[in-house]
Amino acid sequence: MLEAQDLRKSFGALTVTNRVSLEVARGERRVVLGPNGAGKTTLFNLLVGELPADSGQIKIAGEDVTALSMDARARRGMARSYQKNNLFSGLTVRENLSLSAACAQGKAKTVAMDSLRDAGVAETVREMASLVGLTELLETSADSISYGARRRLEVGLALASRPRVLLMDEPTSGIGPGGIHAFHALLRGLPAELTIVIVEHDMDLAFDIADRVTVMNFGEVVFDGPPQAARESALVKDIYLGTWAEQP
Amino acid sequence: MFYQTPLKTAAILLLLTAALVYSLVAGFFGLEVLTEVAILVIVAIALDLVAGYGGMISLCHGALFGVGAYAFASATVLLGWDASIGLALAILTACLFAWVIGAITARTHGIFFIMATLAFGQMGYAYVFESRTFGGDDGLPGVPRLDLSGLGIDLNDSFNFALLCVALATVAYLLAAALLRSGFGRTLVGIRSNELRMRALGLPVWRHKAAAFAISGALAGLAGALAAQHTMFVSPGLLHWTLSGELLIMVILGGLGTLVGAVVGAGLLVFLKHEVARFTEHWHLVVGLVLIAVVLGGGRGLYGQAEHLWERRQAARKAATAAKETPEHA
Amino acid sequence: MTADLSFWAIQALNALQLSMLLFLLSVGLTVIFGLMHFVNLAHGSLYALGAFVGVTAAGLAGSYWAAFVAAPLVVMLVGILLYLTLIRRLRSAGPMNQVLVTFGLIFVFLDVFSIGWGDIALGLAEPELFSGRTEIFGIVYPTYRLFVIGVGLAVLGILAVIVSRTQVGAVIRAGVDNDAMAACVGINVERVFFWAFCVGCALAGLAGVVAAPVLSVTTDMGTAILIPTLIVVVIGGLGSLKGAIVGSLMIGFVQTFGAVLAPELAAILIYALLAGVLILRPAGLFPARG
Repeated sequence: MLEAQDLRKSFGALTVTNRVSLEVARGERRVVLGPNGAGKTTLFNLLVGELPADSGQIKIAGEDVTALSMDARARRGMARSYQKNNLFSGLTVRENLSLSAACAQGKAKTVAMDSLRDAGVAETVREMASLVGLTELLETSADSISYGARRRLEVGLALASRPRVLLMDEPTSGIGPGGIHAFHALLRGLPAELTIVIVEHDMDLAFDIADRVTVMNFGEVVFDGPPQAARESALVKDIYLGTWAEQP
Repeated sequence: MFYQTPLKTAAILLLLTAALVYSLVAGFFGLEVLTEVAILVIVAIALDLVAGYGGMISLCHGALFGVGAYAFASATVLLGWDASIGLALAILTACLFAWVIGAITARTHGIFFIMATLAFGQMGYAYVFESRTFGGDDGLPGVPRLDLSGLGIDLNDSFNFALLCVALATVAYLLAAALLRSGFGRTLVGIRSNELRMRALGLPVWRHKAAAFAISGALAGLAGALAAQHTMFVSPGLLHWTLSGELLIMVILGGLGTLVGAVVGAGLLVFLKHEVARFTEHWHLVVGLVLIAVVLGGGRGLYGQAEHLWERRQAARKAATAAKETPEHA
Repeated sequence: MTADLSFWAIQALNALQLSMLLFLLSVGLTVIFGLMHFVNLAHGSLYALGAFVGVTAAGLAGSYWAAFVAAPLVVMLVGILLYLTLIRRLRSAGPMNQVLVTFGLIFVFLDVFSIGWGDIALGLAEPELFSGRTEIFGIVYPTYRLFVIGVGLAVLGILAVIVSRTQVGAVIRAGVDNDAMAACVGINVERVFFWAFCVGCALAGLAGVVAAPVLSVTTDMGTAILIPTLIVVVIGGLGSLKGAIVGSLMIGFVQTFGAVLAPELAAILIYALLAGVLILRPAGLFPARG
């Protein structure tokens, strides 16, 4: 569903991702792990189109999207969530979700009808709000809900566009242990055909939901395989050293 | 997000009634003022559309207004075309100019956007000022008004012309309100709130911004064509950046991003100018101080403040009824 | 042929003189812009204030030099007043509020001038020392205009030395670069901003009093010069001294030679230049950061 081949990106003399390749099948849950500075975030930005790659190729469902902008990739079914909440401030939760749903359903540019009152948009909003547990807060401003709720809205915004591929940048950053548990449940409840790529440093997430794990270090992919194999790999252990050893 | 709340409807109906009643009792001078306000209401609405709802603080709306006025004057005076064609041409020309400016400046933000629009506006001013074709500094006199004699309406009568302008201002409000309540308008507010996110959701943001600017430009062009007919004369001053600044003042005084505020602000500024002018010629001083006070006082503007208070009361009332309906747990 | 040559030389001197006036104005504006991220549309009004104060001071003392000293000082005091009452509160208010309040100030100043000095254009006599004409490189040129160029170059030189060689300059550069960082290393950023603002105002007043004998002193002289000054600042890059110099020279020469070579186009040229720069290099030609 999502393919990356030999992605390279340098900032000046510093190469941050080097010959990174990735192949994610339809419906697969992939977690990209790596210590800070491993190039995970750069890879993420290359995949979503926020940064142009120096060389390499990115494909969505077989279509080459390397030269396409961020919005053009989104129109081909790629959605993303942000590490730091990036919501529509000043608007209610319903308005937030509606903007996303309307965009995906081709109702964002029409002057003929109100996207907020559209039945198709409303249906998606209702569904997504219930999925991320925000039904009670639909009419509340996104600025005045709790951090955890905003975090869920962040994911809801990405989901409301009904993507084929969902890329998530450290989705559990900043939420406490209880929230993380609920978040894993949320991820497991997503439609099976949705392809998900998660960039994380949190091990638990990888073992909890990943079908496959990619480990990066110094801008290169050093491991690619099932979570169990990653757990047993000596190389991955080396990279994660201290934190890794503490895992039960 | 824009909602045509009962308060907005009430305010608009009240203002419309006031305008109609005033047109019946006002003398010649009063009708001239009413016409001026109605025309400025149209540009102010155009500006609020992009500045208040799209986050694009434009300093070229005076120029777009002027482009409309000059297009109308050129078509009728220089080319001798019919005024109705002139009107269509004015709207189209201003729309096209606005689209180009909107498309080029779509990627600039904050002060750079303000400066870029200022530059494009002043470019238009400088061109018209120097151009011999358009009469340069002297402008173009002898601009005719629309001919509605087929309907038995003589627009050279100030009463009729004032009513036409009020009617068109009402149409402008309805159009703007309809646009803001459409998918297009919702998305525009989304861009104001978070442009990057809108892009990440798959929207080609620059095209949307340019389209919004073009629609706003079309309204400004309509107002320009009316202004040319009102004074029957166009001069480069119509395009000057200080007019753009005054338009921004109107929108702020009334309440940015409320649409009704643009209407209130246009009326308020013209009223201030004329009322102050009765006592002293220094209306600039008064308007300047009022503007500073409004911005420092929170910047909501007259109507904006009223709407803010009303919404707070609505929310409090809703919370109270909700508390009554749900039984206490304690 | 020599007549032709001297014609162009005179135009070049005219352009240089305009550039220096623009420089005196834009350098203050750009540093305030770069340091405080503050958009001061009233900067042109401070320039006009300098000219008016100059007219009054010269009238009272009977000497141009009284005006030359009084104008920058009075304008600086007015600037301090504005800083304490308005500008400090608007620092973090966003560009739109700054534009609006300072636009309001333009209106206020317009009427203050018209109440205080009337609506008739005033003149300020040039100092006797620099009256008449001087022959330079075989061209006869008004001495006072050479003085204007001299003042501009002198200020340019002093500022260049201050910014590149002294600790104050290092602080200003650090402040333009990254005010949070400057604050971290123990620089009282707020005080530096304040003094930069004061100097910027004083230079605007100086520009006004220096320009007064060449141009006539009118209530709208501030609004007229504001736009070219803003263009200089944006073309040069916000907060950049080098940008202010290059921008002033570009606008001064484009405007002067444009008026001679292509009068119909001249007025548009500087705006087209600005639009071009904003599209191709949105941060200006010499961005202060990085």
